[in-house]
Parts: sequence; structure tokens; C-alpha cells
Amino acid sequence: MTVSPMIAGAAARPVARAFVPGNAWALARRGLVYVLLSVAAFLSIFPFFWMMVGATNTSAEIIKGKAWFGGALLTNAATFFAQVDAPRIFWNSGFIAVVATALTLAISSLAGYGFEMFRSKIRERIFGLLLLLLSIPFAAMMVPLFVMFSQAKLVNTFASVILPTVASIFIIFYFRQATKAFPSELRDAAKIDGLKEWQIFLFVYLPVMRSTYAAATIIVFMTNWNNYLWPLIVLQTAENKTITLILSALTSAYTPDYGMILFGTVLATLPTLVIFFLLQRRFVEGMLGAVK
Amino acid sequence: MSSLKLREIRKAFGSLEVIKGVNLDIADKEFVVFVGPSGCGKSTLLRMIAGLEQITAGDLLIGDERMNDVDPSKRGIAMVFQTYALYPHMTVRENMGFALKFAGVSKPDIARQVDEAARILELGPLMDRLPKQLSGGQRQRVAIGRAIVRQPEVFLFDEPLSNLDAELRVHMRIEIARLHKELQTTIIYVTHDQVEAMTLADKIVVLREGVVEQVGRPLELYDNPANQFVAGFIGSPKMNFLAATVVDKSADSVRVELINHQGTRLSIPATGGTVGEKVTLGVRAEHFGEAGAGDADVTLKIDVAEHLGSTSYVYANSGVEPLVIEREESRHQFGEDRIVVSISADQAYLFDSKGQRIR
Amino acid sequence: MAQARLDRREQITGWAFIAPALILLGLFMIYPIVWSLWMSFQVGKGMNLSFGGFANIVRLTKDPVFLRALGNTFTFFIFQVPIMIGLALLFAVALNDSTLRFRGIFRTAIFLPCVTSLIAYSTVFKSMFATDGIFNQALMAVHLIASPISWFGDPFWAKVAIIIAITWRWTGYNMIFYLAALQNIDRSIYEAARIDGVPAWARFRYLTIPMLKPVILFTTVISTIGTLQLFDEVYNFTAGTGGPSDSTVTLSLYIYNLTFKFMPSFGYSATVSWVIVVLVGILTFLQFLVARDRKIKQ
Repeated sequence: MTVSPMIAGAAARPVARAFVPGNAWALARRGLVYVLLSVAAFLSIFPFFWMMVGATNTSAEIIKGKAWFGGALLTNAATFFAQVDAPRIFWNSGFIAVVATALTLAISSLAGYGFEMFRSKIRERIFGLLLLLLSIPFAAMMVPLFVMFSQAKLVNTFASVILPTVASIFIIFYFRQATKAFPSELRDAAKIDGLKEWQIFLFVYLPVMRSTYAAATIIVFMTNWNNYLWPLIVLQTAENKTITLILSALTSAYTPDYGMILFGTVLATLPTLVIFFLLQRRFVEGMLGAVK
Repeated sequence: MSSLKLREIRKAFGSLEVIKGVNLDIADKEFVVFVGPSGCGKSTLLRMIAGLEQITAGDLLIGDERMNDVDPSKRGIAMVFQTYALYPHMTVRENMGFALKFAGVSKPDIARQVDEAARILELGPLMDRLPKQLSGGQRQRVAIGRAIVRQPEVFLFDEPLSNLDAELRVHMRIEIARLHKELQTTIIYVTHDQVEAMTLADKIVVLREGVVEQVGRPLELYDNPANQFVAGFIGSPKMNFLAATVVDKSADSVRVELINHQGTRLSIPATGGTVGEKVTLGVRAEHFGEAGAGDADVTLKIDVAEHLGSTSYVYANSGVEPLVIEREESRHQFGEDRIVVSISADQAYLFDSKGQRIR
Repeated sequence: MAQARLDRREQITGWAFIAPALILLGLFMIYPIVWSLWMSFQVGKGMNLSFGGFANIVRLTKDPVFLRALGNTFTFFIFQVPIMIGLALLFAVALNDSTLRFRGIFRTAIFLPCVTSLIAYSTVFKSMFATDGIFNQALMAVHLIASPISWFGDPFWAKVAIIIAITWRWTGYNMIFYLAALQNIDRSIYEAARIDGVPAWARFRYLTIPMLKPVILFTTVISTIGTLQLFDEVYNFTAGTGGPSDSTVTLSLYIYNLTFKFMPSFGYSATVSWVIVVLVGILTFLQFLVARDRKIKQ
């Protein structure tokens, strides 16, 4: 092979080497990134701060935009507990969210594992169909669903809130994606060790996929705790309502007592925050597995 | 024009110093290999030359110009990465032409240069494929092609062959050596594999813990290592080390006694060392002679013998020290469990307790 | 992709794993969907339904509230989704720099809004958007506006407020997807580009965006579905009215009102819900079309 003219010309035509004040420019850009992120972080956190501040102020002060802690915390708390049967309401919310989350994770991860590990033409077709259904909004099934539950005399029960949510196509899809990263050698090794498929799932897959479950827990718990439209439709008596519904009703008053409501929202936000901070470390890890 | 000078180059991550003052001259068109165990700082050093890592202290000169703060793309370098770093969504052709697009090269020129590089690397039939449709060796060639297209004065290779299987590695090694001949540019090549270093380099730089241990031509390092680390790192199988004590010394030789072979003494031509000092005697596998042929004989217990056809390796031990002995007469059966070999003083190396060579 | 042939037992196990999900989905999703499709061709009030053919579709074209809701939903979609996706990408790219300090804090802070409860955030925003509230005060302090905006008294600003609120809540959520995807990208690809002299904007445009395309498409589709179904925020901000004067009524809110507020008209509300289905279908298809391989010009 001969030396090409183009390559031979390389030495004669050096790559441009103008001095670039790389440091100054890089520093300026770095500064800009910090400003951008700081502003974003501030704007993201401020409403939380505002919520906590609001819980200590009177409604009048809040509407006037007072942005520092005041002395109305106890009054707000007293009003809130007087108007809302808090233990009952939080029990409702907690029960629904916990049961729905546990069932969703169980059923959807089983399905995700099943779709990925046991591929067959017909199951792939079904999976494709499910992905299509993913794009059908809840509004389209809301009315028949309500009619179904009223015919089954299940309206105003927790079952009516939980049942339609537990088979989540989104979470099935998420688990299937994550399962692609599950090393199939592990399954083979477990098989050779004599484990049955359900044992592999329970004792190998589940522990290995901790992060995936953690991320899914955050998402599903959040969704259920915050679920609004469907509970609004099926939960009809005050003692069965969730905290979300109760607070919403209070907010819709003609002159809402913001101090008292914000006190309630602090309480209502705590569970999701606790779950998030407990599982946060695994969250990004889990998402990573699914996005691959 | 494309010589490099490194002057007291340092790199610290916080309080941890990983490059501890490297001085190095690299001549134009030289093929230099940085070699060392993982974590020795060889990749960091390369990345500092590339401009991917800030230089904490010291000066980097490429062709007499200080490059410390110059943008990577303006240093006249091109780099081939361990992971190839091909743009996954672009075809081979697009991958190779991408840099030129931003260098203001006209479209016909881009096409011409890309085609030229493709011809050199025999990438012709692959030009419209995506990286994921290529084998490891092909990706490697595309990565090199992408570097060639930019007509750099200095090529940087960061462990380019470590993701390939053994056979392909040998093949690509030859390919890279051929390219260096053809392109006539400076190459800096990082590897942990001393065989790659020995076969490719004009000059090897052995690094350990951020310090240059020795610089020299491959055989220079092999024949004349500056210290025990280089002696042990360069060469396969590794040099054998036997513990010894200095028992006597004269004007031009040092007499040592092997600790694990009581009574075995030999005089090594050297001027350093003090009587009573604990030293290490280094002997290469191929330098063990037949019994009686050298200056001292040692008796060893055989663990395993490997017959490779043209040579055999005998793995033996002297109680505590494992040793490897190379024997050319491969059909020789080492039936007995003992072997007597000789050591020649002029083919042995002496190292002090800090690992420095006693000359 | 039926690669390995599974034996009979594996086939059965496979079905067993997906059976619970399939049964539930069939019962609580597919059956209602089919029913609602059938319903959408029924006319009448309450449960007294009779087949009406295309009567509901004709009614749609003459229904001013529906047309308002359609327009509003589109407005939310057109402004909110691109703004949010753009911001999320920007933050993700900024946060992907491993040399950045306080990365974890920034990431958590920006993600935090989406773990807050819906009601908490709508109440908080509602109180912040009060006419004398902190939002107007802040805007006046930096001289962006001269007099307070009546956020929920004005059709335009009511939409802006809702877009701000949704963007606040969901940007971090989308960002996490991008961040996760970015971390899967080999870092040396960017280093190679730097050495190749590819400027920062081009690295973003020609490397990051194409490599994140699948995730961007995914989040865009999810966000589109979410926005077209927009209900919670509007319902809470406007006390269920979609006011002022229907300026924030969305399709989902209208369906809810048709079904549970007004004299229930199941057939017609099912028709409206199928409008959303059709819209989601069309938009998703368009997004897939746009995202199809566009080769960079060589």
C-alpha cells in the first residue's frame, strides 16, 4: 500500500491551532449551568417551602403572599382536625395506596417477566396490543367502568378504587424492559440448581431486580396516593373519601381557608416524600435499567 | 513538527495526586507506548495530552507550543478510544466525516478524505452500515479511520485492543504497526499489555502509581531494566526473583548468597550494594542454563511442565519462591520431580530492598 | 420474535405468569373500552339509551362547549408538552456532567415536584396565584408586570397558570428518564466529539438528541396522552367549572361534567372520550413519523 497524497499532505497542512481561551469560556458556561440549575431547584422547592409556611399563617396572610412563618399553626391544626376526620381519611388513603401498590407490583412484574422470558408469537401479539391500549385515555373507559361497578353494587368501596388500577400496562411495559437486563445465565443456573420457575422469580429475579421494584414502587404509590378522577367518581360518602378528595373539596369552597388546607396538604404530602426519600437511592438505578 | 514535551506534568483529583511529575520527550513520528498496571495513571496521562483532563501543574508542549489550555480539537491530535466511541446513530461514512463537517471542510473534500481513509483501512463495503452492524474488529478500524480522516499530527490510542479477542488482537496489532509506517505520524499508545508494548513501540514508557519508572526502547527495557518493577513487568513469562544476601563485595563485583538455597553463592558484576544487605536476584526464564553450565546450580522441585511445541515452561519452586524455567528442547520429558538449573552471573540482575537496580 | 421454541410446559408457565394481568386488563380495561365504543353510538339520557348511529358525532360538531374543550386541550398540548420536554432535556444534559457539584441535590430538587400529591400542589399553586399572592408580588418586584394579574379571572392567564403548574410538576419526572438514558451513553462518545472539534450545540443537536430519540419519543407520547386527558389540575384550580367562561374546560372535564354533573348522557360522553382516543392515535402516529430516521446531511 502506498502513502496517499492526502496523508502525505498532513504534515504540510497542520491542523489549525489558534489559541482558544478555553478556560474563560468553560468557566462562564459552567457558571451559567449553576445559575440555571439553582433557579430550577429554587422554583421546584419553593412551593414546598410555601406550603409549610402557609400551614403557619392565616388564610388572609397567605392570599396577601406572606412568605415567612407565622403564628397560626395551632389554629390551622385545630380547624383542620375539627373539620376532617383525619385518622379515618388517612387510613382510607393509606389502605388504598398500599394495597394497590402491592398488587400492581406483584401482578405487573409477573406479567413483565412472563412476556420477556417466555416469548411466543401469540404473546408478542398480545403485548403489542397492550402497548396500543396504553394510548387509550382513562376517560374512554370511565363511564362503562362506573356502570359496571354500580351494577356490581361495588360503588363506594375501596375495591372499586383499587381493582381498575392494579393491572397497569405502563408498569408491565416497564418491568419487561427492565427484565431485558436480567442476566439469563442466572435463570439457567437456578434451573440447573433445580428451582421451579416460581421459585426463580421469587428468590432470584426479585432480589436481583430490587432497584427496578424500588423505582416502580415510587411511581405506583405516587399514582395511587394522588389518584383523583376515579376515586372522585366512585367514592361517594365522606367517611370513605381519600385525603386528596377531602382537601380538594375544602379548596373548592367559596372562600377557602388556605391556612387550614395547607396544613392538611403538608400532612398529605408527607407519605409520598417519605417513600421517595427512602427509595431514592435505588430510584435512578431502577429507571436506568428500564430505559436501556 | 509534531514532537511532544511533557515537563513536570502533574494531576491531582482533590488531594489525591495521580500523576506525580512526569517528564518526557516524544520525537516526531515516534511510536510511544505508555504501559503499566491498571491504576498507574497511563490513561490519565494520555487524556491530559488529549485535553480531556485538565493539567494540574506542569507544561505540555506539542511542537514547541504550550497546549495546557488549548481546546482538544485544536491540539492537532486524534484519539481512538477503548470503547471505540462510534456515534451509534450514524453510518460508518457519517462517523468518519462528522468531524470534518465542523472543521469547515467542503463536502467534496469530506467525501474524498473519507474515501481515502476507507481505502487505507479497507472499509469500502462497510461504509453505509451502522456501528451495531459491525464486528469488534471492524468497529476498531472505523474508529481508527475516523482518526485518520482528521489528518492529525499525533494519534492517541487508549487501550484500543482490549475489547477484542486474542486472535483479532494480534491481527490489529500488526495493522496498527503497518499504519504507523504508512502514515508517518507520532503515535502515543496506552496499554496494560506488555506484549503490545514490546511489539509496537519505538519507545516504551513504564508507569507505576503516577511515576515514570523507565523510558527506553523495548529491548533496552528488557535487557537492562532500571528496577525490579520494570524487570518484572516487561517480559513474558515474568522474570524470576530470588531472595539473597550480600556476603562479600569487591571493586567490580558483589557476591551474594541465595537465602532459599543455602550455600549457593555467585558473584554478580556490580559496584553497588553493601555487605549484609538483603537483595533480590532476578533471572529470566530463558537464562537458566543446564546444570553445571553457569556459575551456580540450584535444585528445584517441579510443579508443572507446559509443552508448547517449540519451547517448554517448567514451573518449579524453591520451597517458597515460584520460578519459571524456559527450555527449548521441548520433547524433553521432565519425568523426575526435581530439576537442577544453573544461573550465570552475567545474565542475572541485582535489586536492592527498595527495588532499585544494583549495577 | 419467537426465537427459541418453547416446550409445552414452558408455554403453560408463560401463560401463568401473564394470566392475572390479562384477566384484570380484560375485565377493567378492554371490556369497558369496547362497551364505550358501543355506547358512543347510543343516544338518550341516563340509562335509557337507543341506537343513534352517527347522531352523537353530528352533535359534536354543533356543540360549542365541546369545541371550546377541544381547542383548550389543544392549546395546553401545543404549549405545555414542548416546553416541558425542552426544559427536561436541558436539565438532564446539565446534570449529566459528572464534575458538577451538588448534582444529587439539584436532581432531587427538580424531581421533587412530581412526588408531591396532586391536591397539595394545586392548592399551593392556587394560593400562590391569588391576585395579591406571592406570584404577582414576585413578578411585580422584578418589574415584569406593572399591576397584578387576575390569574383565574382572565381566560388567557388562566391557561398560562395551568401550563406553569403542570410544567412545574412533570418536568423533573421526564428529566429522570433522560438522565437515566444519558447515563447509558458511553462517555467517550462525547470525548471523541470534543477531540473532533464538534461544538457544544452540535454535540447536543447531533449526538444527544439522536441518541435519546427513543426516550424522547416515549416521554412525548406519554406526555401527550397525559395532556390530552388533562383533568385534575383544571378541576381543582377552577373548582370544577373550567372557568372563567369555559376558557380552561378540557375534554376530560367535559366528559366528567356530561356524565356526573349534568343530566347523565352516557352515549354522548363516550363519543367525546373517543375523540381523545382518536386524537392520541393521530398525534402518536405523527410523533413516530417525525422521529423516524432523519439522516443528517453529509
